[in-house]
Amino acid sequence: MRALGFMLAAVGAIALLPLHAVTAQDIPARLLERVPANMVDSVQRIAQDAAAHGLPVEPLLLKAIEGSAKGVSAERVIAAVRVLAARLGESRNALREAGIPAPSPGAVESGADALNAGLNASQVRDLGRVSRPPYDPVVTLQVVAALTALGVPAPQGVRLMAHMIHAGREPKDLLELPNEVQISMARGATAAEAAEGLDAAQGGQGPQGQQGQQGEGNNPRKP
Amino acid sequence: MTTYHELVKRLLDGELTLADLPPELHPQAREALHLVAALDREPVTLSPELVGRVMVSVRGRALSPARRVWRWLAAPRDFELRLRVRPLAIWGGAVAAAAALALILGHLSTGTSPVPVARTASSDNVVFVRFVLYAPGAKRVSVAGTFNQWNQEAAPLVLAGQDGVWTTTLALPVGQHQYAFVVDGERWVADPAAPAVGDGFGRRNSVIAVTPQGARTL
Repeated sequence: MRALGFMLAAVGAIALLPLHAVTAQDIPARLLERVPANMVDSVQRIAQDAAAHGLPVEPLLLKAIEGSAKGVSAERVIAAVRVLAARLGESRNALREAGIPAPSPGAVESGADALNAGLNASQVRDLGRVSRPPYDPVVTLQVVAALTALGVPAPQGVRLMAHMIHAGREPKDLLELPNEVQISMARGATAAEAAEGLDAAQGGQGPQGQQGQQGEGNNPRKP
Repeated sequence: MTTYHELVKRLLDGELTLADLPPELHPQAREALHLVAALDREPVTLSPELVGRVMVSVRGRALSPARRVWRWLAAPRDFELRLRVRPLAIWGGAVAAAAALALILGHLSTGTSPVPVARTASSDNVVFVRFVLYAPGAKRVSVAGTFNQWNQEAAPLVLAGQDGVWTTTLALPVGQHQYAFVVDGERWVADPAAPAVGDGFGRRNSVIAVTPQGARTL
């Protein structure tokens, strides 16, 4: 009888193992390792919903992990993940309106970062419109987001980027813009003044300027 | 050696902004920011042979969860186990194990992960980036970000000399990353030499873009 009891207990215990393993398998391993248990279900629900809508999931998981690493309360982390999911959706819609029918996960995430930095959806859409090959919306969105983070007004940053593209600057030159603004700021200019100076160099006319039509011949970085 | 005003040190530490400082300190603050920014933006160029050796070593050390489990299982340990069982119990255990295995295989064959992992980075496409923080008085400093899953133990900085300058060089995959320094294991500090964005939790993250040509503080 004791042997039968042992056998039944063993069957029960071992049969339960795979059920638990499958549940854990459904959640990315690092989320389980890095996020408190009381947060995992909520984050997973948000992530599943995002995935069902074709949105990238990785940024959501990273945001949850980041919040946990920083010791933020579960409620606040979940709220931040929800906000990010909404921004990813807003970014994706803006890029579709810009004529990019299937924006890459990187572009959607960059658009969400730009929204987080202070751009609005129409500015993300405008950047999407001017970001045609060889210009990558990932780069243009991230650069303008960085300019905004430095204090450049968002409309001015979008305009500067459009002027750079219309002037035929090389895509890698776009990445230098935040550094150039920082250098001007270190010399005493405000962020807006720094961006205005760069814009003028592209043939724009400052905050009220028109789009530059300089062509590649005026690109000092090109051989 | 230049000795900066305490408020300038706090600016470098990310605790103050330029606007918080009195005007007479602005030239000194700008000089300090410029110096740190120049340090931070300096891409580190290493020979392809060294990069190759490092990546081989990294790949060799990187263990998948399955390999970690296997290593744990395979590592020799001392156990003393005494069993008194009846043959019937042995057969019962075997039946239970078979049933469990069948359940596992059944789940594996039909189950799909509802949360796909979107990002995959080529480990060959990495750039070495140097991080610098001026943090006098700190006992330990690390850098955590999207590139290391915000793990504050993964990338410690080392004290360079006696001037409170902490530094480390990391191999980062090409792409855009957010990060922050962690001072003494508890204080999250944005990089004063890089643009920062809100982290959604009331703090700031610094932003860096890593391209095949080098790193830019985005």
